[in-house]
Amino acid sequence: MRKFDSIVVENQDGISVIHFVDDKIMDTKRIQLVNDELNSVAEENKTGGLLLNMENVRFLSSAAINKLIVLDKRVKSIGGQIRLSNLRPEVRDVFSITNLDRLFSIFDNSTEAMKSFATRKSPKSRDQE
Amino acid sequence: MTKNRRRNDSDDSAAATWRIDKRISSDPQEGVAVIRELLSHLQRENWNECEIFGIHLSMEEAVANAICHGNARDREKSIRIRLETSPDTFYAKITDEGGGFDPQSIPDPTAVENLERPCGRGLMLMRCYMDNVAYSPSGNSVELHKKRSPTPPSGNCEPGNPP
Repeated sequence: MRKFDSIVVENQDGISVIHFVDDKIMDTKRIQLVNDELNSVAEENKTGGLLLNMENVRFLSSAAINKLIVLDKRVKSIGGQIRLSNLRPEVRDVFSITNLDRLFSIFDNSTEAMKSFATRKSPKSRDQE
Repeated sequence: MTKNRRRNDSDDSAAATWRIDKRISSDPQEGVAVIRELLSHLQRENWNECEIFGIHLSMEEAVANAICHGNARDREKSIRIRLETSPDTFYAKITDEGGGFDPQSIPDPTAVENLERPCGRGLMLMRCYMDNVAYSPSGNSVELHKKRSPTPPSGNCEPGNPP
């Protein structure tokens, strides 16, 4: 497990599982810090997966969401994948309202999200979908 | 004490009106301080968590827009924040010193072709969580209105005014 200032990262089967330290991601400086640290993890795990476990996040502003959109785009462009899991209902609503649940793959829990990485990797599993 | 307890009907609404009228610099931390003061007041007055979430998000977006887009982060420019709550309503007016903008010019962030564009969501979220969002003709001032729910919601925090 690696601890950054704003995130904690653990490696599970090649997937970087990321937990957020702050329960509110809204301060401009903290948003930038989260962004920098997420990008750092994405850079290290270029073609792997990033699972953002958001169970600790009670509030995030559109500025924070915008950073996630840019990160998602960047990760996809280098062949990686991002999943979101464990969103609180009110945070999940924000993604629904903004239609971003069409852009991000969002799962109820980290187990389902981890399975989706495995499914994506396995051609056999993909055929079974 | 019940968390979502409402005031008695006999409460004097005029006496219960709470106001803030502050001028802050274009410093996000000053905006945070005003919003914290508001949230503390709403919690003291037992507004429910879903309403507080929506007001918090809308205020964050409105103040961030004023600082970042309106005043272009110029610390020499100020922002006026007027807040008023009664037992049943929330009102805010946020005014910056920028040149304003046309809200109609903001592309729909929910359109498929705009999903990857990192802009336009703040305004949309305000409209979803508030009952009314009104910009001044010059576009450098926004007013937010929300009526308090008559009963506490059960389950998830559903925005009151989905697009």
